[in-house]
Amino acid sequence: MATLPQLTEEDIQKLGETLREFNASADASVSLIIDKAGFLITHHGEAEEFDLTTIAALASGAFMANQTIAGLVSETTFNSTYQQGENYSLFVINADEHCMLVVIFKSQSGVGVVKYYATTAVKRIARQLKIARKRAPNEGLDLSMLNVADTQYFFRKKEKEPGNKKAP
Amino acid sequence: MAIINQATRELQVKIVYYGPAMGGKTTNLVQVHDHVQTAAGNKGKLVSLATSSDRTLFFDFLPIEAMTIRGFKTKFQLYTVPGQVIYNTTRQLVLRGVDGIVFVADSQFEKMPENVESFQNLIDNLHSLKLNLHEIPYVLQYNKRDLPNVAPTEYMEFLLNNREVQVPSFTATAHRCEGVFETLNMITRLLLHKFINQSVPQYA
Repeated sequence: MATLPQLTEEDIQKLGETLREFNASADASVSLIIDKAGFLITHHGEAEEFDLTTIAALASGAFMANQTIAGLVSETTFNSTYQQGENYSLFVINADEHCMLVVIFKSQSGVGVVKYYATTAVKRIARQLKIARKRAPNEGLDLSMLNVADTQYFFRKKEKEPGNKKAP
Repeated sequence: MAIINQATRELQVKIVYYGPAMGGKTTNLVQVHDHVQTAAGNKGKLVSLATSSDRTLFFDFLPIEAMTIRGFKTKFQLYTVPGQVIYNTTRQLVLRGVDGIVFVADSQFEKMPENVESFQNLIDNLHSLKLNLHEIPYVLQYNKRDLPNVAPTEYMEFLLNNREVQVPSFTATAHRCEGVFETLNMITRLLLHKFINQSVPQYA
C-alpha cells in the first residue's frame, strides 16, 4: 500500500507557503492538506474556528467513498468534490496518490475561483511531495527511551468522582 | 500508515475496531470517550455516522491525545467499521492506512459463525488493500462476557486465535467499561513496539 514520503520541516514550510498563497488568492477561510487515511498533515487559515482533526477524517472518508462511486459508474476517478453550504462551502481536490487538498471557504465567494487556484496549488503540493519522495530518507525518531512495557500510562481510566458533600 | 510530523512534533496513529455487527465496537469507543483520563483539550469529540437506529453507517471516530514521547505529542485516531455484511465497501475505506486493529468478537455461542466470517472478511479486506494481517499489530477482544450464553474463552481462542503466532486477547464487558482500557493499552503497546523496531518510520 502506498505511504507518504518522509517530509522534513522544510517540506512542511513549503506546503504551508503554498496554502498561504492559495488562501489569499482564492479567499479561502482555511485550507488543509490531508492524507487519504484521514490524517491532517498541515493547514493554513482560521484554524481555531473549526475542528480540523475531525474534518480531515470525515473529508477523507467522504472523498474516498466518492472514488468508489466513480468506479461504479465507470469513471476512473472523481478528481474533486464540492459541498455547498449557506455560510461555508467545502471543496476537496486530489493532490497525488497519498494526499488531497481540503478548502473551506465562505459561500458568498465563488467556487470557480477556488477551483481555479486549487488546480495550481495541488500541482505545487504534488511537486513538493515528489521532491520529498526522491530525497534519501535517513532521519529517524528515536523512540528507544519509551518504556513500552508501561503503556498503562497511555490511557488511564478516570477515577470515580467523589460525591458532592452537602453543605451544613 | 502512521505519520510522524517533525514540524508540529506529532505522532499520529490509526487504530480500527473491527468485528461482527452488534458486537460492541461503538460501545468500546463510547466508553473510552466517557472514561479516559486526559489533560483538558486532549480528547476530541466522538463522531458517529450512524443510522436513525444507532447502527454504524460509515464509521465512528474518536481522536485522543496521549502522553508526550520525548517532546512528540502522540495522537491516536480510533475508528470503528460498520459490522453489517452489506457495508463491506465502507469497511475497506476505513481500513485504509490502518496501523493497528482491535477485533471485537461477540462471546455469545450463536454468534460464533459471524465472528469467524467477520475475521475472514478482515483478512480479505486487508488483502484488497495489499496488506497482510500478520504484518499489522492486532488484538482480540471477547466482548459481552456478562451474558448467560457465552462460549468458553478457550473455544473462542481455538476459533479466532489458532495461529502460529497467537496475539493477546481480552475478555470484556464493554458497556461496563470492563476490558476496554486493557485492550486499548495492549494495542498501543504493540504499535509502539512496531515503531521502535521499524528502521524507517513514516514522516510528515
